[in-house]
Amino acid sequence: MEQLINDLKLQIKEALNLEELSLEEFDENAPLFGEEGIGLDSIDVLEIIVLLEKNYGIRLANPKDGRAIFQSVKTIAEYVQANRKK
Amino acid sequence: MISVVATNIISPLGFTTEENYQAVLAGRSALKRYAGLWGLPEPFAASLFNEEQKATLALEGYTFFEALAIRSIRTALTYTSLGNDFSRIVLILSTTKGNIESLGEERYYPSEAAQRIAEAIGLTTKPIVVCNACVSGLSAQLLANRLLSANVYDYAIVVGAEVQSKFIVSGFQSLKAVSEEPCRPFDIERNGLNPGEAAATIVFARNADGERWCLMNGATCNDAYHNVSPSPQGEGLTNAINAVMKGRDKSLLATVCAHGTATLYNDQMESVAIHRAGLTDVPLSALKGNFGHTMGAAGVLETILTMIATQDGLVLPSKGFAELGVSKEVNISSEPQKTNKRSFLKLMSGFGGCNVAAFYVRTTDKKQETTSHITLAKANTIRLSSEDGTSLTDIYKQEIGNYPKFYKMDILSRLAFVITELLRKGPHTTDNGQQMPIILFNHSSSVVADRQFLDTIKDAENFFPSPSVFVYTLPNITTGEVAIRHHLCGETSFYILPDKDEALMKQILEASLAGTSATSVISGWIDAESETSYECELSVYNII
Repeated sequence: MEQLINDLKLQIKEALNLEELSLEEFDENAPLFGEEGIGLDSIDVLEIIVLLEKNYGIRLANPKDGRAIFQSVKTIAEYVQANRKK
Repeated sequence: MISVVATNIISPLGFTTEENYQAVLAGRSALKRYAGLWGLPEPFAASLFNEEQKATLALEGYTFFEALAIRSIRTALTYTSLGNDFSRIVLILSTTKGNIESLGEERYYPSEAAQRIAEAIGLTTKPIVVCNACVSGLSAQLLANRLLSANVYDYAIVVGAEVQSKFIVSGFQSLKAVSEEPCRPFDIERNGLNPGEAAATIVFARNADGERWCLMNGATCNDAYHNVSPSPQGEGLTNAINAVMKGRDKSLLATVCAHGTATLYNDQMESVAIHRAGLTDVPLSALKGNFGHTMGAAGVLETILTMIATQDGLVLPSKGFAELGVSKEVNISSEPQKTNKRSFLKLMSGFGGCNVAAFYVRTTDKKQETTSHITLAKANTIRLSSEDGTSLTDIYKQEIGNYPKFYKMDILSRLAFVITELLRKGPHTTDNGQQMPIILFNHSSSVVADRQFLDTIKDAENFFPSPSVFVYTLPNITTGEVAIRHHLCGETSFYILPDKDEALMKQILEASLAGTSATSVISGWIDAESETSYECELSVYNII
């Protein structure tokens, strides 16, 4: 799980060009959206959906299903572990 | 008075304005579900020309996009003459992706396509391409009226055209914005837009005789909120409607022809803006259930059909609508309604946060418009070129910082962001800074982002269209980035020219700002051929 969390942090940082966020301060429990957390927006969610398909073979057709999944890196990792096809 | 002297629409439903009008009244639609077309893994519904229509419309030596535009203009010109002074006629092309299928070749460049179209119809002046995402068709009409008002030309031929492709459809699919069913504007079941193909032409003239349609006034307002998601309060669209309807009697409106893309967010936002502007009772029409979203053509096509219907005493039916699915009441119907009114409002909203409202009236009034002349005084200019040897990222780090979005931007947006940031630190007036328009020009459109997006879709084995890259394949996103950063809610416009013609840029800028309430403007040239080959020179002008 820890490895998967670290992989996801690296992949998200790269795919979303989060240049100013260091991996050390990228907290897997921090909310991904809103001022309090990482501050991602709707396009970032779509880019994470692409990333999940590319790297883990997970197809998420409806971004609305993602609300629960995309709370934090931790919740994404749990979803990936349960649903990954590669 | 500037008025409409000729029109044409070429769509899969017909090759003349009349054929298309009858098709809408008869409830016809060319929307069809396509599975596997262009190798796209996800199905989609679209309004596309069939092979027989394509063969009929093709012109040797021209791309299908160019042929469509040329055919549409030629048909429109059978209804009017343009006089003999060809130096007084301008072509304004409205498109979002033009010849995108020719990416990698010279003819990809939108101004090259516009020049071929202009030459084919015998024009000698430089054509102007309007690239303001989905609002382009209205922006192009506004520009035409401004240039004629300023007496720069006698005739303006506005042609909106769009041909669909793997590029555009995969991009909108990556944004989860495309429906695989025929779209349902404002309906509870709506789940996305359908791409559409069409060309539509309006010829505007100074001093035409008789009763005619006139674009009385229009307004462009940016949400300054997000480049893709519209403001949930419909901020920009409300401002645009209010600006256009100020002092006008709304009970004279036959209809509001909405943008009505049938995406969840657009239609919801429009209902809010219409409610806020007090137009809930005015009959609303949305035409994308017939034609799909014809993008660069949409604003021209939908305006023409609304003119013809209003003249005919009808409000057009909104195909696909059955049950209201937006939070604010709108007066929409899937059946034609009768009207005896002679004016209407057309709305468009698009990526880059731009919103346009335009008010049209049928009139015999021949009063000349008196254009207030303005003078532009340059307050500050900053130029950045790839030849300078400085890195944009270094400038960002040293002079700006604390805006992580910088790293997500394409080269055009980075350039605009960095320069406007430096300009705003320099000497200029900002007394009504919130209204400051941003009017940019270039030659290469969004070629850098276009190549990057193409890289994500060209390999079938590794087909992962990137939504964040696709957004930047509209050059006007640069104006949106600047508007968001500085909370600028005024006009944002992006024009593509054959070259950096300073005289033409000045003419467009002055014509655009005549009568404005803004007191300063950001404008200039912003061109990037690659990450390492760019030229950008933007100025702040005070408007006197």
